[in-house]
Amino acid sequence: MSFLSPAYFAFFPVTVLIYFLLPQKCRNLWLLIGSWFFYACAGPEYLPFLVGSSIAVYFAARRLEKKPQKALLVFMLALFIGLLTLFKYLGFAANVISRTLSVFGLDWTAAVPKLLLPAGISFYFFAAMGYLIDVYRGKVPAEKDFVKSALFLSFFPSLLSGPIARADRLMPQFEQLHEFSWQEARVGLFRFAYGAFLKLLIADRLAVMVDTVFASPQSFGSLQVIAAACAFSIQIYCDFAAYSHMAIGSARAMGFKLTENFNTPYFSRSIAEFWRRWHISLSTWFRDYLYIPLGGNRRGQTRKYINVLIVFAVSGLWHGAATSFLVWGLLNGIYQVIGSITAPLRARVRSALRLDDNGKLTVLWQMLCVFVLATVAWTFFEAGSVSGAIDVLRACAGSTLWAAPLSAMGMDKWEFAVAFVSCIVMLIVDILHFRHGDQAERAAGSPWPLRCLLLLALLFASLIFGSYGTGYDAQSFIYGQF
Amino acid sequence: MNKTNKKDWMLAIAFVVLAAVLIHCASIIMRPVHNSYGSTWDAYLCEPEDSIDVLFLGSSYAYCDWNPEIMFAASGLTGYVMAGSEQTPSITYWYLKQALKTQSPQVVVMEGSSFFFEMYQNYTQINLDYMPRGIDRARAILDAAEPDKRLGLFFDLYFYHDRWKELTREDIAKLITPASADVNKGYTYVDNVYDTKGSTPYHREPSKDTAAYEKHLEAFKKIAELCGDNGIDLIVTINPTFSQCSPEIYDKLEKDLTGIAPEADFMLLANSFDEIGLDISRDLYDGGHLNFYGACKFSEWTGKMLLGKGYTPREQTKEDKAAWDDGAQYWLNLRDTSQSAAS
Repeated sequence: MSFLSPAYFAFFPVTVLIYFLLPQKCRNLWLLIGSWFFYACAGPEYLPFLVGSSIAVYFAARRLEKKPQKALLVFMLALFIGLLTLFKYLGFAANVISRTLSVFGLDWTAAVPKLLLPAGISFYFFAAMGYLIDVYRGKVPAEKDFVKSALFLSFFPSLLSGPIARADRLMPQFEQLHEFSWQEARVGLFRFAYGAFLKLLIADRLAVMVDTVFASPQSFGSLQVIAAACAFSIQIYCDFAAYSHMAIGSARAMGFKLTENFNTPYFSRSIAEFWRRWHISLSTWFRDYLYIPLGGNRRGQTRKYINVLIVFAVSGLWHGAATSFLVWGLLNGIYQVIGSITAPLRARVRSALRLDDNGKLTVLWQMLCVFVLATVAWTFFEAGSVSGAIDVLRACAGSTLWAAPLSAMGMDKWEFAVAFVSCIVMLIVDILHFRHGDQAERAAGSPWPLRCLLLLALLFASLIFGSYGTGYDAQSFIYGQF
Repeated sequence: MNKTNKKDWMLAIAFVVLAAVLIHCASIIMRPVHNSYGSTWDAYLCEPEDSIDVLFLGSSYAYCDWNPEIMFAASGLTGYVMAGSEQTPSITYWYLKQALKTQSPQVVVMEGSSFFFEMYQNYTQINLDYMPRGIDRARAILDAAEPDKRLGLFFDLYFYHDRWKELTREDIAKLITPASADVNKGYTYVDNVYDTKGSTPYHREPSKDTAAYEKHLEAFKKIAELCGDNGIDLIVTINPTFSQCSPEIYDKLEKDLTGIAPEADFMLLANSFDEIGLDISRDLYDGGHLNFYGACKFSEWTGKMLLGKGYTPREQTKEDKAAWDDGAQYWLNLRDTSQSAAS
């Protein structure tokens, strides 16, 4: 059940209405039933995985609280990672082994069974592992109520594509009494409507151009391929940020506050900062449960760089079982390592050029560099293979600037115009967010004529200019596949 | 409920109502103008209430073959064609139910080629989308539309929102321009002449889907019951056509239909060109349908046939009578002009 499906538009109001009508003691149970129903709509065959994980996590957490046994924690983590490997990486691993052996002249191919990949498994398994580690560390108590424990993993707004839940923030909210609040409902509505705007007007529209150009980069001029590569940077941001807005908005309407997942990442001045602002729930997960346990930056520079590369390699693989994702992750790690090594040199260049470290020109230049570097890395993410990405990058450096008519890029002039205007709107919202904080809060708190106008504008922009319905290929959320 | 809470509720309700009204307006603007090829509901609803003697139903065989104004000129009987392209009997039932809300015809004449259709044909979207909004339209969608079309039929913008690129002033003017009755009365004018030189009627294969046929018969049962409940006679015809099924199939259809509704009249006219006075070298549009000249002859014949069955023209107001006379004159003039130009 996608957030932008008629089924969700029926499911969500009914769930929320009944949630607020029920007495407090029944509400979590109701949410759990609703969440499991929501998950079953993605595929009833997936439900046993979620229910099974919930049961395992509940008992393991109770046990770890009573007696913090490292062996049990390791067993549980190995179980989750093993299952993830089985469902997601078995084919990839067999392929890597086969190719490695072929280098030594050995011929080996494994018949890998095609296993079903339960929806959202990467997200709720990571939430589960984080919770168990926190219980083991004594950071959070084990939840004694099975319903709350299961709801922590299953809470429908964040179940399929995050934000990845953290026990210390979400679990206490299941204890609280959430009274219906107009302000919270309005904030939720604005977040949801803005998410729909990003998805339908920008992400799905640009997807047509990106898919067309990436499918055959050699048929286009270098400017056109560069435009498509930049468009993918915007597409993936709008796609995933849209999902997060809608997830956070849905939860907010019920009074729950999920972890923010994006904080204007393309306004970052370094790749390290970019990763503090992009997919925040995953970045912080890796920081807390992988980077710091590996030693973080406490064991010298070289070890720090190795740790960064390990984290980003794992992050790449988390996104998908393919070499191109691994390269994408490593590239982001390498950017950070090089950024850290060259920081003093760059400071000296700025000083020689008499550029203020925080001057407008410096900041804009750094943001531009981040966007370009991220775009090069995203090319590996989108192209589907390393060779495909290299083809795209090679086409970016081609000598012909413009080789095909605009219409060959999959969009007519009107579609380009809508995409352009929508991107300007997104840019303005991001600038306002960057300077003044959450714009949904501001919009929801504005005088009623203004907020009605804003909401109607978002609604009608999506309904009239959105990429949906007859004649459009419905695009699923990119992060839905992870 | 405190004062602030009450205000919030009022504002929320007002917002929902405003959004719904605006979405409805946007739907009207975005939906393409449709005033030909059947499903001409806007014009139908502008006819004076209870002024129609004969209601023609069916598919394109109905709206190409019957011109109610010509029938009026020949018989004094007023008629209207409420048919749609490739319209299945289940949609026809909902058309009839809706049509009877404003008219009380003496007889319903249903062209029966649609009993040979598949479960779903090609024009469900147009046939149902232009029906008047209401509970019957919703039930028609659930009953007769392909599952993948239902969302768009309930929510027009799903089908038509991307027309924003091609909007014209006329599209926006639809919002404020009231619909009006027209001289077509549901008829669709086609004037191509099909070349039948040296050929004979060709064989048409009905759908092999028995479930579809069963559903069509079920719909017919409902049509017959609805007619019966409203004291309306029912005639099923197979109109003159070059695209003919085998005699056995027509026999079976007649047996099935009269088995369901013994009071209904079944008229097999598929090969009755001579009896009606049709000239196959001149009066066919595409082999299947009649062209304008054929429709004129067939409509005259139908009017006289209905008079012969005892149906009599109802009394019309002076204005209505004048309007029908004007309309009939328009088509008669067109026929005479075309004929003299052709000769």
